[in-house]
Amino acid sequence: MSSAIEVKDLYVQYKTKKGEKLDAVQGLTFEVKKGEIVGFLGPNGAGKSSTLKALMGFVEAKSGEALVFGETAGTPEARKRIGYLPEVAMYYPFLTPMETLTMYGELQGMRGRLLRNEIEDLLEVVGIAHAKNKLNRSMSKGMLQRVGIAQSLLGNPELLVLDEVTSGLDPVGRKELRNLLKSRQEQGTTLFFSSHELAEVDMLCDRILLIHKGKFVEERDMSELKATLRNFYVTYRGDVSMLGLTEAWNENHDGSKTARFEAKVGLVQAITRLQDKGGQILDVVSQEGSLEDYFIDTVEAAA
Amino acid sequence: MNFSAYRALARCVVLESLRRKDLWVVAILGFVILLASSTLGFFGFSGLEIFAKDMAVTVLGMFSTIIAVLTSSRLVPDEIKNRTLYPLLARPISRLDLLVGKLIGAVIVTWISFLLLAALTAVALMIFHVKFELIMVQYLVAKMLGLVVVCSFAMMLSTYMTPSAAATMSFIFAFGSPMIGRGLVMASAENPAIKPVCAAINSLLPQTGLFDLGGRAVYIGWSMVPVWVMGFLLAYGIAYSGAALALSWAKFRRQAV
Repeated sequence: MSSAIEVKDLYVQYKTKKGEKLDAVQGLTFEVKKGEIVGFLGPNGAGKSSTLKALMGFVEAKSGEALVFGETAGTPEARKRIGYLPEVAMYYPFLTPMETLTMYGELQGMRGRLLRNEIEDLLEVVGIAHAKNKLNRSMSKGMLQRVGIAQSLLGNPELLVLDEVTSGLDPVGRKELRNLLKSRQEQGTTLFFSSHELAEVDMLCDRILLIHKGKFVEERDMSELKATLRNFYVTYRGDVSMLGLTEAWNENHDGSKTARFEAKVGLVQAITRLQDKGGQILDVVSQEGSLEDYFIDTVEAAA
Repeated sequence: MNFSAYRALARCVVLESLRRKDLWVVAILGFVILLASSTLGFFGFSGLEIFAKDMAVTVLGMFSTIIAVLTSSRLVPDEIKNRTLYPLLARPISRLDLLVGKLIGAVIVTWISFLLLAALTAVALMIFHVKFELIMVQYLVAKMLGLVVVCSFAMMLSTYMTPSAAATMSFIFAFGSPMIGRGLVMASAENPAIKPVCAAINSLLPQTGLFDLGGRAVYIGWSMVPVWVMGFLLAYGIAYSGAALALSWAKFRRQAV
């Protein structure tokens, strides 16, 4: 699988109004392969939006390299293959969604009936076909976000770069968006998005990249991460020690005990020991770990 | 040259401006002029053709310049402030294309306002039984070229300073450049040592006075200006607007947004 995005030792620096230099991104290196859905995570001010802006050419990198499908990021050739959704969706207040998308489509090089048909389809897909002739200024934040999603999908781009994609959407809208993005991936589109909504990340991503204070922290495969985060619990009665198998065990108020295992093999060994030593097994639970806990723990460790 | 991008961007500027009802100001103003003229006519001032024409070209020149400055000086800053710039820059167009498209939009809005106001003024002048001469057509064409210079100058300033500062500076130079120019000439006559500096400053100023054929249009029986003069105005307009656009691009092309 070749790369959709390649970032090598990227540095992005801003000058504040006082003339001070602010390092937003410091030596970031990562890769997104074609067809992947990759979540870009980090706390506020971590440098996510700055990285996305550098990928789009909105800010110039101080040093390092960013490539999109082998083209230098930010060039018209690279941007032709990208659909971009900015963090805060603002669209011309005195235009309608139809006119807004027509303008973006024409800037994309599309025109005529083909463009009109695609816009009609996209407005249907994002659920605002009924409001296509209303002025943007009369729309809610969620509806504007849908206009934004539609504009990012214009021209069927090979790569979608989405900054806080679920911002402003209600739960139904989020589910619809998830389905839409999944279907785009099935058609071969690569997705790279930043989000604070860890539940969305959990449901959408193949892989996550975590950054903090402009620096790379770690990247994890989602299925591998979920397996790591999974915990197994056994609740039992009897005077059976779990020493040597786990240190995470405690006595409950009814006299029973619960032991926690990070791997399935530990749980199996515990059950065998309980059976051998005459313990009474009351409950066995396999529970998915929280991505939020992982996020907080990892960011705190990196701080 | 990305003409489809220019068309899309210009249409956006025009639609926004029309729906924001910017042009209503022009229409209301025109109506007021019309009303005032009718009143003058009613009281028997029908012999004051020259006065009426003078007033008409002054009003036309002033309000079209105000619209040109106010429209152009907020083109780029508003895009940045309202964050509408990101989806635009995400398209496969260059930042120069963006500036050109926006400028064309501002020029069209200004021209529509100017022609609307001119049409209303013409109706007002008819009340005074003013005879229309071809010099008036030349006046309109020259003024429209001058408005392109004002638009590009205001847009250029707005990429270097805040929109209000850009608008103020644009007004000073658009209305005051003939006066500033005269001042510079007088200063260099007083002190020949500073003549090259004065000449350099004067050449940098937008010479909006060149495009004002109002004086000829007002007085009765003046001949049309030669074609080469109109050609020169066109060439100057293109060169000055091109230079202003290049300066806008020099600032905007690498600006972090």
